[in-house]
Amino acid sequence: MKSKFRSLASLLVLAAVGALVVAGCGGGSSSAGGGDFVSGAEAACGSANKQIAALGTPQQEQVTRYLEKTEAVIVKLHQEVAALDGSGAAETAYTAGLAKAIPVLTAMTNAARSENFDAVRELSSGLVEIHLGELAEEAKLKTCAEVPVSES
Amino acid sequence: MRRLKLILVLGGALALLASVGVAWATTGATTGYPQPKVVVPSQTQAPFENRYVLTAVGSGAGIRSGEMKFEFEEGSSPQFLVGISQFYTYSPTGEIETALFTFYPPKELPNGKGLGFTALKVGASAQYGQVTPDGELQLFTPEGDKVKGQLRLRGGGPWPVEFKVLGEDERYTASPPAARQIHEAQPNNPGWGGEASEYEGEYELTNGAEDPTAKAGTLGAVIGVAQGLGVRGAVVSSGSMTVEGNPAVATVELETGGTNRTFTLTDLAWQGDQRVAQVHNEGPDSPPVGRFEGTGGQGEVKGDLISGHSVYKVAFKLKG
Repeated sequence: MKSKFRSLASLLVLAAVGALVVAGCGGGSSSAGGGDFVSGAEAACGSANKQIAALGTPQQEQVTRYLEKTEAVIVKLHQEVAALDGSGAAETAYTAGLAKAIPVLTAMTNAARSENFDAVRELSSGLVEIHLGELAEEAKLKTCAEVPVSES
Repeated sequence: MRRLKLILVLGGALALLASVGVAWATTGATTGYPQPKVVVPSQTQAPFENRYVLTAVGSGAGIRSGEMKFEFEEGSSPQFLVGISQFYTYSPTGEIETALFTFYPPKELPNGKGLGFTALKVGASAQYGQVTPDGELQLFTPEGDKVKGQLRLRGGGPWPVEFKVLGEDERYTASPPAARQIHEAQPNNPGWGGEASEYEGEYELTNGAEDPTAKAGTLGAVIGVAQGLGVRGAVVSSGSMTVEGNPAVATVELETGGTNRTFTLTDLAWQGDQRVAQVHNEGPDSPPVGRFEGTGGQGEVKGDLISGHSVYKVAFKLKG
């Protein structure tokens, strides 16, 4: 009788722990894998920000190269973040914001290749309108919300 | 009726176009221009019937080079001159573009100074284009093979122009040589005012815009770089200026797109409300990278700070 009671108690404890684990996984995020999304996106953003900061502040004649490299970094960042498969609304919005930035960056790079720097500046308003930093904050992505600080 | 006149003018313009450059036929016949309402004696017009090359032009016109031809409208009675020109202009992106104009009708300038013509712009696509009034060309009495005058286009000017008469067989196989750019008189009084106390001191920026990088996350850096580019005025979010020393030197701190930039302004000069200076990127002894051109007075200075390909539109006010 005593051992039966112990078994029942163990089962109850296990069930409670299981319930807690399941609840923990969903806490603070709208998707089941939210914790993975946040850590994965933060790592990707950390790397992207570091690469962009290392590009420094370009002179006029270096702008095309700067934009090409930045575009490549953002394309890679988008691929990495999209692969994390965030399903929450904020996570989806952040991933979509990155996707939206890519064609704008492509257009800016092309304008720089034509040395149409007014167009580069005007097109950049398309990036401003995305408010990627705000989308990152809403998705609890602290590093992604940071603006890379140029190293030169 | 207006449409018919337009078609006639355009037809004449195209006929003249065919006679200007070496690439076109040299028949030179012009027809279809309506008889002007105001008659100018043909002996007054005759000295201008020539082919010309542009040799000098006011720098503000943005014209690199050009050719022009005036001839009497065929069969006109009384006779009247019609002109056609092909100007090579600088586009906002620095590329060379072609601009075609006809000059019609002629009118006599006061005091026998010469002739004036309405400048009609010919559309880019000739057969579907349209002729629109775009300014005025004045040609002063020729002096030997040179003709001076002034030009108004696109609501700007007048800019001085100088043409040389081309000989009968003188032709250009490509675009004509670049005309000398005539720069407008620059202020030459030292400083930015009659008394140093008028302009020395600490200034604050009064036309700062919101920092576009603030909410941009990873995209902030590239936005910052892009917003500092272009000739139409980079976005300045904050800044300050200090003017001191004898001769006066201005140190300008600007924040554009999250990036702080420091410029040094030397050779400060003024004339009336004009304010100009040389711009340096790395201190007063570094090579100049551009100019400051603006207006000022009563503790305020505003204008374009040009550094390389970037233009920063700034407005400063002397702190009280």
